[in-house]
Amino acid sequence: MTKQLGFYFDASGCTGCKACAIACKDRSDLPVGINFRKVYQYEGGSWGPDPRNPDLMIPNNLFVYSLSAACMHCEKPICMEVCPASAISKRDDGVVLIDKDVCIGCRYCEWACPYAAPQFNEEKGYMTKCDFCQDLQAKGENPVCVDACVMRVLQYGDLDELRAAHGTAASIEPLPDASLTSPALVITPHKHAQVSGKGTGHIISVEES
Amino acid sequence: MNIREWALITFTILGQMASGAMLVLMVVRAYLAMKAKTEEVDKMLDGPLFIVIPIMGLALLASLLHLNNLSNVVNAVPNLGSSWLSREVVLAVTFVVLAVIYTFLQWRKIGGNTLRTVIGWITALVGVIQIYAMGMVYMIRTQPAWNTLATPINFFVTALLLGGLAVAVAMMIMHSEAEKQLPLFRQVLQGIALGAVILLGIEFLILPIYMAYLATQGPVALESLMLMVGPYFGTLVLRLIVIFIGVGILVTYLSRNLPGREKAMATLTYSAFVLVFVGEVMGRILFYVTHIRVGL
Repeated sequence: MTKQLGFYFDASGCTGCKACAIACKDRSDLPVGINFRKVYQYEGGSWGPDPRNPDLMIPNNLFVYSLSAACMHCEKPICMEVCPASAISKRDDGVVLIDKDVCIGCRYCEWACPYAAPQFNEEKGYMTKCDFCQDLQAKGENPVCVDACVMRVLQYGDLDELRAAHGTAASIEPLPDASLTSPALVITPHKHAQVSGKGTGHIISVEES
Repeated sequence: MNIREWALITFTILGQMASGAMLVLMVVRAYLAMKAKTEEVDKMLDGPLFIVIPIMGLALLASLLHLNNLSNVVNAVPNLGSSWLSREVVLAVTFVVLAVIYTFLQWRKIGGNTLRTVIGWITALVGVIQIYAMGMVYMIRTQPAWNTLATPINFFVTALLLGGLAVAVAMMIMHSEAEKQLPLFRQVLQGIALGAVILLGIEFLILPIYMAYLATQGPVALESLMLMVGPYFGTLVLRLIVIFIGVGILVTYLSRNLPGREKAMATLTYSAFVLVFVGEVMGRILFYVTHIRVGL
């Protein structure tokens, strides 16, 4: 592997507007029920009694932050590992792709991927997922999610360069622990970010269709 | 539950039953070979041998229902290097091919008895590996409720329990009243019944250990456990009761020698099979509804 493309996401600046997810849905012309990119709102904390007026409940460590997630084009792609048809491959630039002509639609990759990236298209009969806008990248353009980001907190590039610039954090709730699949992802954590597997909050965003 | 999950439930249960039955048949054959002439052994086991192919055939048909792109079905094989699903498919097909060869040779008495027995054992061994592969398919590191030793152990228990009982049922259906009075016939049935009790014990032992283990494996495993003791607790308990009764009635009656009660013996064997089958299906439903993947 000569190169590994990856996404960089600055959670400290994301407003959760979902422009990235909508741009992706539009460009990939996705049907109801399938979204290659999703924005998750993660919320936690509790309410406690006001010391001066114990009958009154006030917010206690309440927090919420957003994370934008699509296929992580993992360095250890578990989807590719389990696919019986060898329909999933990893290109030299690290992009993980599904070959629709080979896929048997067994949905085994869906069971395995902890980022919910491969999604079954009922109409077409095979698995689909983010392809890193490979056609646009070939023309020298950016993936649509990156260009759509109002806050400019979603970027992409060579993973090593992204890590050199932004660090190596990727195990942030509600994402799974990065050791499972080595996602090509770098996150600048939100100030309330919790570590994967040790979170005290939960996803509150309603599942979009 | 959708069609896809029912397809998987059918495939795993029947695939395990067929492999288990094959193994039980070979073990019984080895036992009988020490006590009786080859012709007598063949007379007792050749009929029941015919159940293996249709059961495995049905399993494979069901497995096709869970694919969504049948035109690519031959593609289920290439990733033998890393996908347990590929390995499972290859083993399942190998098993059924070997079972057809063995059944045919045994039926037509082609080749010597020793050669046939060797082929029979190879078939049974492929069946065992197939059950192991089925377990490995579910041991995905992102699925904490599945990624435990309990998965393959439970699959083996299901295989031997249902396989053994299927052989018992086949023996009851295919033999005359006179044959059922033979001491050897009784001994085989009692052996299967004893095996069932031991397997029941293992099943009842594994469950609490498994549940305790889930409680220690992080929040996602805990969520699975909460499903088991919450919304699906009724199914869980009912399943244990059904299997307990199934194995219980079989054993109490078969452990006694009841000359002249062949009809009762048959009825009890059939009911035991039905109860254990229902119990195992309930167990497999639980298996598919309580798993939760880590992450998003």
